[in-house]
Amino acid sequence: MPFDATEDLPDDALLARFADGDAVAARILTLRLTPRVMAHAYRLLGNRTEAEDVAQEALLRLWRQAPVWRAGEAKVSTWLYRVVANLCIDRRRRARGGSVPIDAIPEPEDGQASAAEQMQDRARADALQSALDQLPERQRQAVVLRHIEGLANPEIADIMDVTVEAVESLTSRGKRALSALLAGRQEELGYADER
Amino acid sequence: MPMSDKDQDLDGLGAFFDAARAHSPAPSPDLLARVLSDAEAEQVWITRRAQAATEAPRAGLLEQLYRLLGGWPAMAGLTTAIVAGVWIGTALPEGVSSGAEAAYLVDITPEAVFELAGDF
Repeated sequence: MPFDATEDLPDDALLARFADGDAVAARILTLRLTPRVMAHAYRLLGNRTEAEDVAQEALLRLWRQAPVWRAGEAKVSTWLYRVVANLCIDRRRRARGGSVPIDAIPEPEDGQASAAEQMQDRARADALQSALDQLPERQRQAVVLRHIEGLANPEIADIMDVTVEAVESLTSRGKRALSALLAGRQEELGYADER
Repeated sequence: MPMSDKDQDLDGLGAFFDAARAHSPAPSPDLLARVLSDAEAEQVWITRRAQAATEAPRAGLLEQLYRLLGGWPAMAGLTTAIVAGVWIGTALPEGVSSGAEAAYLVDITPEAVFELAGDF
């Protein structure tokens, strides 16, 4: 099948083709899934190098799972979110205390703020990441899946193996903690302009 | 956007989540190359395992017979017996077709021949 036609196939169909030795499916899945997996790992770890290692490991596990993948039983993305979370939790437990304190976030440089809406947005993203790094693991995972990845609560509950009510509780507590952590930064990061 | 704007405005985090989505870290070319390399290597293994699985039943039967007979010592004895049997089978008719041995073999139970003939 040509690349263009294969490109539109859903993840599980591509995975079946991958297991049959289709090189085009391997390339499409790599280009489609690596950015998602990498971004999710980064949000859970706050470290780019480690996030890349986790992304590679998670996808290697997916390739190995391909021959026995049962289409329709689980979404590939749901499976990957779960594997990434487990790998990230393992790494954080091994290297406890490696997160960047919120005070270490680079401050926007004086005199450049007016010219740098892009920089301000970047600073917000960095500030949020640093605050996320300080949340308990489960709260961080729930907040990232809900508010950055944009998943619905039932899917998050499936990924985290908890009830929907537990997801709501985790996201609620996580957001309260984030608000508290970012309270002192909202004005300087331009949050006051958004109200 | 996963939440309504109103919800996000209430907790004051909407702009931060928007910024995080806008600044997703992109995978490096090196990571993409490593992932694709893993994928291609794994495809080779998957293909080899699938081929091995189709050949396994035949190899498995031979393996089972070999083990059932007792491994290589038993196979050596069995081979010797087969060779000896073939040699005897091909050499014996030539030996009995000549001389006194042939007469001895014919005359050894003449009464049995008459008894059998008398039944008809």
